[in-house]
Amino acid sequence: MCIQILDALPRVTCPNHPDAILVEDYRAGDMICPECGLVVGDRVIDVGSEWRTFSNDKATKDPSRVGDSQNPLLSDGDLSTMIGKGTGAASFDEFGNSKYQNRRTMSSSDRAMMNAFKEITTMADRINLPRNIVDRTNNLFKQVYEQKSLKGRANDAIASACLYIACRQEGVPRTFKEICAVSRISKKEIGRCFKLILKALETSVDLITTGDFMSRFCSNLCLPKQVQMAATHIARKAVELDLVPGRSPISVAAAAIYMASQASAEKRTQKEIGDIAGVADVTIRQSYRLIYPRAPDLFPTDFKFDTPVDKLPQL
Amino acid sequence: MASAPRPERAPRLPALCLTRYPPLPSPTTVGFLSMEEEETYLELYLNQCAAQDGLAPLRSPLFSPVVPYDMYMLNASNPETAFNSNPEVKETPGGFSSVDLSFLPDELTQEDKEQPVIGSKHETEENSESQSQQSRLPSPNKHDIGLGLNSPSLSNPHSQQHPSDTDSVQASPEKPDSNSLPLASITPMTPVTSVSECCGIVPQLQNIVSTVNLACKLDLKKIALHAKNAEYNPKRFAAVIMRIREPRTTALIFSSGKMVCTGARSEEQSRLAARKYARVVQKLGFPARFLDFKIQNMVGSCDVKFPIRLEGLVLTHQQFSSYEPELFPGLIYRMVKPRIVLLIFVSGKVVLTGAKERSEICEAFENIYPILKGLKKA
Repeated sequence: MCIQILDALPRVTCPNHPDAILVEDYRAGDMICPECGLVVGDRVIDVGSEWRTFSNDKATKDPSRVGDSQNPLLSDGDLSTMIGKGTGAASFDEFGNSKYQNRRTMSSSDRAMMNAFKEITTMADRINLPRNIVDRTNNLFKQVYEQKSLKGRANDAIASACLYIACRQEGVPRTFKEICAVSRISKKEIGRCFKLILKALETSVDLITTGDFMSRFCSNLCLPKQVQMAATHIARKAVELDLVPGRSPISVAAAAIYMASQASAEKRTQKEIGDIAGVADVTIRQSYRLIYPRAPDLFPTDFKFDTPVDKLPQL
Repeated sequence: MASAPRPERAPRLPALCLTRYPPLPSPTTVGFLSMEEEETYLELYLNQCAAQDGLAPLRSPLFSPVVPYDMYMLNASNPETAFNSNPEVKETPGGFSSVDLSFLPDELTQEDKEQPVIGSKHETEENSESQSQQSRLPSPNKHDIGLGLNSPSLSNPHSQQHPSDTDSVQASPEKPDSNSLPLASITPMTPVTSVSECCGIVPQLQNIVSTVNLACKLDLKKIALHAKNAEYNPKRFAAVIMRIREPRTTALIFSSGKMVCTGARSEEQSRLAARKYARVVQKLGFPARFLDFKIQNMVGSCDVKFPIRLEGLVLTHQQFSSYEPELFPGLIYRMVKPRIVLLIFVSGKVVLTGAKERSEICEAFENIYPILKGLKKA
């Protein structure tokens, strides 16, 4: 007796809205019509995991009888066979070793991919990236992995580069140095893989701007909202007036934060800003020297100066 | 040490007719030609070709100033046709099809095929100087010409080239033919049409990387010990790094006999430098030859003299550009039509690389200049 897999057509439809695609609420096991909310089908098999397993759980017995939750989007063919530890005499051979030792590899073809997903989750966890970025990274990695054009490269490097691209694509770019900090791969290698992946997937990413990093850097420096807004304004104005041609947006952002913080009550040193932004303090000094002459024009009009503009440090 | 046994003369040693007009002494007197004789022939030849100026100007990009020297070799194949080809060349560029080049070994035919684009006028003068220097090398090469075919001690790539060379030689008789009109058009190197119609800027060549096969196994330790300005650190890199002052260049010489020459500022200089290195190796006792000289990469740079909006370029030419200020301050533009990579900077400086010929660099710059002009910063 074969069980038909109903992917395409819902077996049941809402009587009032026959065209509506039913939404599955797998937690409750219901199929709900999105138009009127009528519960149409019930007792749908839950494909989530049976028991929640924690990574720190050292429990030898895993109460789950069906294995981990399905991840069909990513690993193809998540179905696998596991052999539990035997009980009774028959499961042991002559020497007392158990026959059918250890659970055999699940989905060996995707072992590397699953490893990479684990690594991606770990990296994202370190910088508190939300689940949507992690999912996007996993998807990117799967695409790159299946293409096999970057097969020779270390999986970790590809994973780090995918993470960088995902952050960029979601509109919240992370600097290469930030990704470096949570990965074991060098910035150079991540940069190389980044370019290769863009070419392999034939996508492109938007150019980074100074404003993308302001909120993160300023929060890490515990600067108040006023200073953050001032720094954003300064950086944007500096780029518009082309005071800093050829400078990396990160350096310009760092210099703007320095100027804004020095004009406010919450002063930060170049070294502190350099540590947070991943920019050398001489670089901040260089960019600061470029924006300093036009400082009065760069500040927003409603900024409250703790240190007046002419008293700003001149480096 | 010269490990290969000294090759004996093959029966088919080509007649050493150095020029087309005055008959040379018999083929058996293969010795070094005296400097004056070489120069006389060179002058005669140059005069001859100057008279043919303007015969096929459009072909000029293909020719190299070195060719007259190589012409000697070509003519060496068949003295009769060498004489006859002179009037032929005057009338039709295709006159050399009658010369049977099929038996000529790689070094000559390959050299002709891979002739880089002509250098400038002063390179012609350089060339005539280099002729005299080169003349010392050719004589042992002349020995080797016929020998190359038969000597089994030659390295494999060399022997493998024979079939491909004969094929390619027969397949493209035009190439040597067009090379037969060389000096006529050594004058301005840029092709007639595109002498920067839009701008007077011509990219300057900064670096040329070329390779050549010396076709004999080398003892790097011996070279490093006896040669001046040579460094050899086998733990770090498996080649001797040699430098010469005259065209200021550096060469990597590998034990297989292959050599990479970098740092020259023009095609002619690169070839000259490579010959100098080959001579150094030869003087140390190895039976060095000069096979398959090929220019692998040319780097040029220029300045458009106005600042450029790189963000604009990356928006409009997304599929070719890569601009990551975190990784590199310049925009990396990978042009498809001449396959050239350009590094474009905010200041207006442009670096072009990846070319095998000078014309590719010029063409790439011609292509990018209007685009950059449209992205000038206000």
